Amino acid sequence: MKSEVKVGDNRLQITRVFDAPRHLVFAFWKEVDRLQQWWGCKDTSKVECAMDFRVGGFFTCVMQITGAGEFSYKGQYDEIVEPEKIAYHADFPGVTTRVVVEFIELHQGQGAQTKMILTQVGFPGQSICEMVSKGTSESFDKLDSLLAKQVVVNHV
Amino acid sequence: MVNKQEKVSAVFAALADPTRRRIVQRLSQQGERRVTALAKPFRISLPAISRHLRVLENARLITRQRHGREHLIRSDTAGLEDARKWIAQCAAGWESGFDTLDQLLKTAQQSLGKPSLNNNLNNNKEKKP
Repeated sequence: MKSEVKVGDNRLQITRVFDAPRHLVFAFWKEVDRLQQWWGCKDTSKVECAMDFRVGGFFTCVMQITGAGEFSYKGQYDEIVEPEKIAYHADFPGVTTRVVVEFIELHQGQGAQTKMILTQVGFPGQSICEMVSKGTSESFDKLDSLLAKQVVVNHV
Repeated sequence: MVNKQEKVSAVFAALADPTRRRIVQRLSQQGERRVTALAKPFRISLPAISRHLRVLENARLITRQRHGREHLIRSDTAGLEDARKWIAQCAAGWESGFDTLDQLLKTAQQSLGKPSLNNNLNNNKEKKP
């Protein structure tokens, strides 16, 4: 199963259906022991997270990335609606990236399925958004198809 | 990757300032400009404009050509390209994480037969509206 990836002007949306009940998918975001198991890219060899899972609480994940060294990521939870939604933001110099994860029940009980929609916005705010939409939207289309290919390749 | 992130941070930081955004926008619309011409619409000093230009140059959002004392400024797409690649990497990063998550969810459900975990999950289960 692969994700549907949409790269917009200044946002990224990834939708994926998991064959699992919603509360279980949610638990993999909520519980630090579970989050550490999947967080990070495929070159991540080790992840250590500390998290205070409540609105206003902070989380920090330190990842060891093969060939690139240590990479840390710090965020703060803005909204938590168990088991439907998690919103947090992470600050980089000059920009705040906001991530919203929504969990939608497709099927319950036997053969449960959950649709997870992750939306990441606020790559450099309006600014890049405007510039990108002027004349460079083509490269975004290319990127979109590249990503689609990449996603397929990952799953072969 | 850390280095790339620094580059991207430089782009974001550079674009966070409204004056610098307007400089970049003007350059992308009007092409090459002298520093003095760029400074004109802004009610700030030439040294202040120079500082903004240095920030934009470091972020690879503009390039500078020196002709004697005259500096010609034009927009550079390298910085924006960095930012775009970063967005793409984010997508790929999430995707590979989700692959792992997919497997973990399968494993977790296989162990559902265990009474403790089963009870726990049932307790958390939401009632249908």
